[in-house]
Amino acid sequence: MAGTLGLKTARIAIVVAALVAWETLSRAEIVNPRLLPSASDTLAMLAELLRRASVRNDLVVTAGEVATAFVLAVPIGALIGFLIAEHRYFAEVVKPLLFFAFSIPKSIFLPMFILVFGVGFAQKVGFGLFSTIFIVILSTTAAVESVKAEHLMVARSYGATPAQTAFRVYLPSMLPVLLEALRISMIFNLTGVILAEMYASRDGIGHQIASWGENFQMRQLLAGVLMVAAIAIAFNEIVRSVETRCSHWRT
Amino acid sequence: MQPLANITPLKPTARDGAVQISGVGQIYRTSGQDVVAVSEVSFEVKPGRFVVLVGPSGCGKSSLLMMMAGLRRPTSGAILVSGAPIDNPDPNRVGVVFQEPSLFPWLTAEENVEFPLALRGVARKTRRAKAGEALQLVGLEGFGSRHPHELSGGMKQRVSIARGLVQDPPLLLMDEPFAALDEQTRMTMGDELLRIWAATGKTIIFVTHSLTEAVYLADEVIVMSARPGRIVDRLEVGLPRPRSFEMLGGDTFGSLRDRIWRHIRKSA
Repeated sequence: MAGTLGLKTARIAIVVAALVAWETLSRAEIVNPRLLPSASDTLAMLAELLRRASVRNDLVVTAGEVATAFVLAVPIGALIGFLIAEHRYFAEVVKPLLFFAFSIPKSIFLPMFILVFGVGFAQKVGFGLFSTIFIVILSTTAAVESVKAEHLMVARSYGATPAQTAFRVYLPSMLPVLLEALRISMIFNLTGVILAEMYASRDGIGHQIASWGENFQMRQLLAGVLMVAAIAIAFNEIVRSVETRCSHWRT
Repeated sequence: MQPLANITPLKPTARDGAVQISGVGQIYRTSGQDVVAVSEVSFEVKPGRFVVLVGPSGCGKSSLLMMMAGLRRPTSGAILVSGAPIDNPDPNRVGVVFQEPSLFPWLTAEENVEFPLALRGVARKTRRAKAGEALQLVGLEGFGSRHPHELSGGMKQRVSIARGLVQDPPLLLMDEPFAALDEQTRMTMGDELLRIWAATGKTIIFVTHSLTEAVYLADEVIVMSARPGRIVDRLEVGLPRPRSFEMLGGDTFGSLRDRIWRHIRKSA
């Protein structure tokens, strides 16, 4: 683990340098401060926004939508993915179609979601789910395929029941891939929900960010960006640490 | 204790490790074509014997082993292990060691060895004790808490053998267990296996490609022909036990090996 400290220092140095550059560009008016408010002003605005009840309410709304979409997309997608992977014929029929569907940019369907669900909770959750489910299905399929035939053979030769095979072979084999899938799914999910909010919504942090942008409130806009970025990074890192703990045996 | 896994309850008398194979054939159906993997194979193995199956690649020796393990069903004929038919895997009667160690990478060596016991709901303490004994038998005392990726190829295969032995089955089936190892490790493992065999008195049926390994290990070598796999010869290896490295250069050893090689060359 030599050099870990050095790597961390280098990483922090880059972040600090970026903040310093941002501050300088703005303060020295190299970039118009109305377009690029300084880092310190933005951070001060971020603190102020977090104290506002309306912003906190927007965060709660977005969090609710994100959580609902996630809680729906993950089990449904995982189940579909598992069924596909376990049935060879079905897999061969459906997999190319899924890849086609996955390659389509989901945002082009956004107007349809508004027409079907109207503007509100259902539209945003629906779009979040739609953005997420394909990656969940594909990752689960990959996770099932990562289970080694030889391990199943061992389980069978020692007389494992189907339930024992599921919990003692499938689950631990799939866990690292599944956790990674969970993390990546959240990225898609968050993108979907926030995009839906920015496109048409009455509340939510995405809606706020869009309207700050339209009204040229650059400090609020940048503070909003930092806020969402921090939340996304935090979630990602939490899952990643669990991932590392669960897959120490992977080399 | 209520058996949790798919295990046929057996009377203790029916655990002697004898194998009787009569008229066994196996046909695979692949894309409309029937492939005869094994044809009309019959032989008998007495308890406590070390029997090696050799033959050219694809002669069905592994298929035969899988059938003895209850992992595949013969298309025709019957297989009796310890006097009873083996239709499904039964770890009470048969332990299997595969070519790849096939250890679960998320479990420690010890937990891997305990796996068959865990499936049967054996208490943790008993499990740990039995795994400890099995690991000691294969010479891996003190390595129980390592994960497979921390072990060498030979050590992994030892863990796999310990897993096969942990339920003390009277019959151990080994499908080219040392094929993936380097020559030196392979020789050492052969001696180790003979030591374990002598210490436990189990019946061992061992599949290999290596003629030297076959003659060195076996009481009896069964030679199979290329597809469809049939028995073409059975040799009694008269060499005294314990076997030693010096025997490899001897006349008896050489003539036995040549006899096997002539059969294999003919059918290859």
